[in-house]
Amino acid sequence: MAATPEISATQEPPSGASTERRHVKPPAGEGFVWLTAMGLAFGIIMILGLLALIFVKGVQTFWPRDIHVVELVDDSQFTLQGSSTIAGSISDERVKRVPSGQILAEGEKEAREYQFFVGNRDAYGLSFLYVDADDIASWEEPESIMQAERIGWGDSIFYPVSLTLADGSTLPADAPEFEARLHALIDTAAERREEMRHINRGEIGHISQQIVEKERRMRVLREEDGLEASAPEMQELQAELDQLQQESRQLQDEVAQVRDRNDQEQLTYRVITGEERTEPISDLIKVWKPNQMGFFDKLAWFGGDFWSFMTEEPREANTEGGIFPTIFGTVVLVMMMSAAVMPFGVIAAIYLREYATQGPFVQIVRISINNLAGVPSIVYGVFGLGFFVYFLGGTIDDIFFPHHESSVFKSGGILWAALTLALMTVPVVVVATEEAFASVPSGLREASLACGASKWQTIQRVVIPAAAPGILTGLILAIARGAGEVAPLMLVGVIKLAPSLPVDATPPFIHLERKFMHLGFHIFDLGFQSPDSEAAKPMVFATTFLLIMLVIALNLGAILIRERLRKKYAYGSF
Amino acid sequence: MAETPPPDLFDSRYAVSKRTLRVDAFMNQFIKAGGIGIILAVFGIFIFILLEIIPLFQGAHVKLEREIETGVQHPIVLGVDEWSEAPFLLDQEGVLHFADLGEESAPGGDMSQLGPRGLFTQQLDLPEGFAISAWQYHQEGNQILLGSTDGRLVLVTIEYEPDFSDPDHRVIRPTASLDPIDQLGVAGAPVIGLDFYDGPNGRLIAVVQEQGDTRPFNVTAFSRRRSLFGPGKLSPVGEYDLTEKIPGTIDEVLVGGSGNTLLAVNERGQVHYFRLQDKKFPLEQVFEPFGDLKSPGIATANWLLGSTSAVFTSPSGAMRIFSVARDPEAGVLRYQQFHELSDLDGAADLYARSLRNRAFMVAHGDEVSLRYATTASQRWSDTLDFAPTQGVVGSGYGDMFLVGEGGKLLKFDIKDPHPEAGFTAFFGKIWYEGQPEPQYRWESSGAGDEFEPKLSMMPLIFGSLKGTFYAMLFAVPIALLAAFYTSQFLKPRYRRVVKPMMEIMASLPSVVLGFLGALFFAPLLEYRFPSVLMILVLLPTVAFAIGILWGYLPLRFRILIPQGSEFFYYIPILLVVAVIGWYLGPVVENLVFTVKDPATGQMVGDFTQWWPQVTGLEYNQRNSLIVGFMMGFAVIPIVFTISEDAMSSVPPLLKSAALALGASRWQTAFRVILPAASPAIFSSLMIGLGRAVGETMIVVMATGNTAIMDPNIFNGFRALSANIAVELPEAPQESTLYRTLFLGAMVLFIMTFIINTIAEVTRVRLRRRYKSIG
Repeated sequence: MAATPEISATQEPPSGASTERRHVKPPAGEGFVWLTAMGLAFGIIMILGLLALIFVKGVQTFWPRDIHVVELVDDSQFTLQGSSTIAGSISDERVKRVPSGQILAEGEKEAREYQFFVGNRDAYGLSFLYVDADDIASWEEPESIMQAERIGWGDSIFYPVSLTLADGSTLPADAPEFEARLHALIDTAAERREEMRHINRGEIGHISQQIVEKERRMRVLREEDGLEASAPEMQELQAELDQLQQESRQLQDEVAQVRDRNDQEQLTYRVITGEERTEPISDLIKVWKPNQMGFFDKLAWFGGDFWSFMTEEPREANTEGGIFPTIFGTVVLVMMMSAAVMPFGVIAAIYLREYATQGPFVQIVRISINNLAGVPSIVYGVFGLGFFVYFLGGTIDDIFFPHHESSVFKSGGILWAALTLALMTVPVVVVATEEAFASVPSGLREASLACGASKWQTIQRVVIPAAAPGILTGLILAIARGAGEVAPLMLVGVIKLAPSLPVDATPPFIHLERKFMHLGFHIFDLGFQSPDSEAAKPMVFATTFLLIMLVIALNLGAILIRERLRKKYAYGSF
Repeated sequence: MAETPPPDLFDSRYAVSKRTLRVDAFMNQFIKAGGIGIILAVFGIFIFILLEIIPLFQGAHVKLEREIETGVQHPIVLGVDEWSEAPFLLDQEGVLHFADLGEESAPGGDMSQLGPRGLFTQQLDLPEGFAISAWQYHQEGNQILLGSTDGRLVLVTIEYEPDFSDPDHRVIRPTASLDPIDQLGVAGAPVIGLDFYDGPNGRLIAVVQEQGDTRPFNVTAFSRRRSLFGPGKLSPVGEYDLTEKIPGTIDEVLVGGSGNTLLAVNERGQVHYFRLQDKKFPLEQVFEPFGDLKSPGIATANWLLGSTSAVFTSPSGAMRIFSVARDPEAGVLRYQQFHELSDLDGAADLYARSLRNRAFMVAHGDEVSLRYATTASQRWSDTLDFAPTQGVVGSGYGDMFLVGEGGKLLKFDIKDPHPEAGFTAFFGKIWYEGQPEPQYRWESSGAGDEFEPKLSMMPLIFGSLKGTFYAMLFAVPIALLAAFYTSQFLKPRYRRVVKPMMEIMASLPSVVLGFLGALFFAPLLEYRFPSVLMILVLLPTVAFAIGILWGYLPLRFRILIPQGSEFFYYIPILLVVAVIGWYLGPVVENLVFTVKDPATGQMVGDFTQWWPQVTGLEYNQRNSLIVGFMMGFAVIPIVFTISEDAMSSVPPLLKSAALALGASRWQTAFRVILPAASPAIFSSLMIGLGRAVGETMIVVMATGNTAIMDPNIFNGFRALSANIAVELPEAPQESTLYRTLFLGAMVLFIMTFIINTIAEVTRVRLRRRYKSIG
C-alpha cells in the first residue's frame, strides 16, 4: 500500500545531488500531467460557473434595483411614446449587433445597449426597452420615484401624486404621512382580498361542489331508474339544489360588496411620460422606493420578496406572484413516490441478496436491474401513460365512476405520476440497498443465527438496521432524481396551472386523481410556453435556483451519508 | 427447526415460539413472492410496451357481416352513405335500389336481416329519352354523373339526412336530386367516358364521346361565386377541346387535384397530363406507366384519396402508382412512378378507395384484396366464392360492400386500425406524395383529411445519435482527462472534495440544463460563436504549452507548485485564457468570418451569415452545439465518476511495481494503469452514451425539434425521446401515432438496454480480473 504520490516525488533527484540545476531533466510526460489537470480544472469551472450563474440570476430577481431616469439625446429613436425621458431599472447590458446597412462612427467597433425594465405595461404597451448607450445624454436616480408590484399588468414605476381616500378626500404625495398611509391602505386591501379569496375558494367552492354532486345524483336517477322530474326524490333534490344556489348567490353578493369597498381608495400617480393614472389601492401588492434604500434595506426587502415568492400563488399566467403550488406539488409527489418506492425497492433487494440462490440467473437479474436504472425516463413516462393512466385508470373509472362526465382516474394525476416515478427509481433503490446489504459483514448475520434467531429476525433486527444508512442513501438519490425529473411527468399529469392542490381541507383530503404543478415543469412551461418570455425570465431563474438548491441539498445529504457509512464499515468488520 | 420436540422430553421454554416460526415462514414466502413479483413487474414494462406496438405490424381483419339479395341484375353503380346504413345500387334504367341495413349490426347472427324499411327504390327523374351510356360515381359527395347516348349529362346528388324524430332509432333518409347540365362537347354523340370535379369553388367536367371514328374530348370549367348566402351560381369559365392533343383513341379520363388536373389514357397505354392554369389547359407531360412491359396498355386508372396519385393496372395485372412531384431540375410538376405493388392475376375488375387514408380495394375475378399505397403493401386478400362486379369502401375504411352476380350485396367489416404502419413505414425509404424523391421522414399530423402521415423512425434515431455524438465529442475528453488526473495525480485531500463536486453536476435536473441552454447560452453563442471557438482552441493549446514548458523550468520553480495540486493553479489561468479568447473572438470574426453586407457593400464580420454562405448549410440559434455543450453537463459526471472509480481501484501492486522500476508518474499512469482500467473506461463511455441517447428535456428545449437528417452542427434535430415528449400528450389512445410513439420508446429502450448491458458485463468481468490480481 505504499503506492502513493510520495514515491513519485522522490523520483526527482534531490537538488543537492546535481552539480548544476539546469541539468535536472523533467520526469517524462509532465506536460501530459498538466494537460489532464486542465480537464479537471475545466470540469470544476463548468459546474461552479453554472451554479454561480444560477445563483446570481436567481438572487437578482428579488434584489431591488435602482431606478434610473435617463435623458436621451435629441434625435434618439428609442423614445418611450414620444417622451425622451425614460425611467427604469437596467435588466441587461449587452453588446449590440449592428444592423446591416448601418455604419458605425469612426473608430467604433461595436455599440453597447441597455435593456431597461420600464414597467407600466398598461400605459406603454411594453415593459422592456432597449436603448443604445450612445443615445443616453444624462443619468439620474431621483429619490422620490416609486416602484409598485401590482396584481395585473406587471410592475409599475412612477412618481406618486395623491391618494384618494374612502371618504373622498385626497392626500397629496408631499404630505408627511403619505407613505405610511399608503402602506396601511395596501395592507387593509390585502386583508380584504384574503377575505374575498376565502369566501370564493372556501365557501363558494364547497357549495358548488355540492351542487355538482346533486346534479349528478339527479342525472343518475333519471337515467337508471327512469324517474321523471316530478318524482318526490327528484323534487327533494331540486329543492336542495335551489337552496344551495341561493346561498351561493348570497355569498357572491358579499364578495361584490367587499370588492366595491376595496375600489374606493385610489392612488394617483404620474408615469415618466407625464401621463397621470389612477388605480385602486387594491390592485397594488407592495410599493417601494428603491433609490432610497441602503444595502440592508435591500437585503430585508430581498428576504421578504423571496419569502412571498415561495409562499404565494402565481398570477398573470405564472409570470408574476409566487410558486407555492409548484413547491407543494413537488413535495407531495416526492413523498408519495418515496412511500411507493421504499417498500418495493427494499423487498426486491432483500430477496436478491438474502433469499435468492446466488448464481448466473440472479447475476443476470442484477445486471438487468442495473440497466433499468439507465433506461431513459421518458420510456417510463410512456409506460406510465399506457399502463397506469389508460389501462388502470380506465378500469377504475369503468368500475367506480361510470356516471362521471369527464374521466376521473383515466387522465394524468398525482397518483399515476408518483407511481411512474417510483417505477423509474426502483432500480436506483434496489442497487443502493443491495450494496448496503452486501457491505454488512456476514459475521453479523452468522452471529445472530448462531444465537438462535430465525432468518427473518436476523434480517429484521440485524441486517436492516446495519444497512439503514445505505438504504437511506438510495432513497435520497431516488428522491433527487424524482424531484428533478420532468419528461415523464409531462405525460402523466403535470399541468401548468392547477386549480387546486392535491392535498387540501376538503374530504377526502388527499386527492389522488388531481393534476398538480411541479417545479421542473414550471421552468419548462415558463421558459417555453409563456406568451411573454422576457417577462417570465426572472421567474424562471428564480424557480431554477430553488430547484437546484433542493436537488443539491438532497444529493449532498446522500453523499455525506455515504461517506459516513464507508468510514463506519472500514473498521466495523470482524 | 420446524419440528418442535415433544414436551415430555424437553422443557418447552427451549422451544422456538410458534409465532416466531410462523412470522419467519410468512416473511420467507412474502419476500420471495414480493421480490420476484417486483422484478417481474419491472420487466413487465418491456412486455407492456411490446403489446402496445404489436398491432402496428398486423394486417387487416375482414369479416362478412351481411348478405342481402337485392335482385338487381346489372347494377352500374354501388354507393354508400357515411354511416354505411343505406347502401344503394343504380341500374341501367335509372332506378336507385336502397337497402336499409338498420342502425345495429346484424341481430342474432342473421346476416340477411334488414332494417324496418327493407329494400326500397327510387326512380331518378331523368330527362326525356335519357339512356344512360356512361357514369362516374364520387363517393365523397355521393354524386353520380350520368352521360346519355345522345350526349346529355345529368349530375345526380344523393343526400342522406339523419332523422331523429324517433328518439330511440335514428333513421337515415336518402333523397336524390338531379342537376341537368347544359350541353357539353358534341351534340348528339353518345358519351362513352366522363369524369368530374365538384367543389366549393367550381366544377370541372371532362367528357369523351364517340363520333364516327373519332372520339371528341371536351373539358368545361365552371367557377362558383361564393356569396354570404351559401354557394352561388355556377358560370362557365372555359371550354377546351383537347381531342387533337391526344393521339389514338381515349379510353379513360380522370379529373383530379382540386379540379385543375386532367389525366387522359389512350389505348396505347399513354397517359396525358393536362394542368389548368390561367384559364389555359396545356399538355404538361405524356408518360407510359407500363412502357417497359410487353403489353404497355392500361386496363384501369383510378385516383387515390386526395386525387393526386393515380393507381394504374395493366391488362396483365401489374399495378403501379404514379404521383405528381416537382422535378428538381426542370422545376415543373411531373408524374413519376412512386410505388409498385404486387401483381394481380389480371386487370382489376373493380377498384374502390378509402375516404380516410391511402388504402384501396381491388378485385380481379374472385380475388379481392385491400392494399395500402404509401407502403405499397397488401393489407388483406381473400378468394371469394363469387366474382364481385362492384365495390365500395365505407365508413372511413371501417367496412366495405361488394356486389356479386344476381345483385347479391355483401357487407364486410374491416378491422384495420393501422394501415399506414409497418416495417417499411418505420424503417424504409418511402416516396411520399409531393416529394421529389423517396426519403425518411417524420411528419405525424397535418391539416386536412387527405394528409399522408409520414412515420419514419429514421430521422428520429438519427437525431438521437446526432445529439449523442456532439455531446460525447465535448464531454468525453474533459471527463476522461479529469478522471485520469483525479485518480492518478490528485492529492487524496483534494479528491474528497472534487469527487462530490463532480457528482453534484450529475444531479443537475435536465430541465434546468435545457432551459439554460436554450434561453441563456443559445443567444450568447449566436452572437459570440467566434469567441467560443477561440476559447475552445486556446484552452487545450495553452494547457499543453504550459505543461511542456513546466517540465523545462528549473527545479527551484517547479517545486513551488506541489504535485497533485496543478489543477488548482490552472483555474485562474483558464479563466484568464477564457477572457482573452472571449475578446479575441470578434477580432477573429472580423478577419476571417466576413460576409459582404448587401446594403453597404462593406465586408462585415458575422459568423451566423458566414457559415451558410460558405458551407451552404443552415445556422439556427438552437443547434446541436448547444445541445452538445449542455448535455456535457449530464454526461461528464457519469463518465468521470465511473472511470475514476475504475482507475483508482486498479490493484495498487501494479502502480508500486511500475514506480519502483523507475517509471515517472505519467509513464506509470499512462502505460500501466490506463491499459489495466481500459475496459472500465469503455464501460463508462457506454453508460454516458446511454444517458445521452435517452436525454429528453435538454433536447426538447435546446433544439428546434425539426425532424431533419442533416449532420450540420449548427442546426437542430428531433430525437426519439423529444419526439415522444412533444407528441404523445396529444396522441389519441390506441391511434397509429400513439402506438408509433410506443415503438419509439421501445427503440429507445432497446438501444439503452443494449448499451448498458455491454457496459455492465465489461465492468463485472473487470472486477473479477482485479480480484485475481489484487
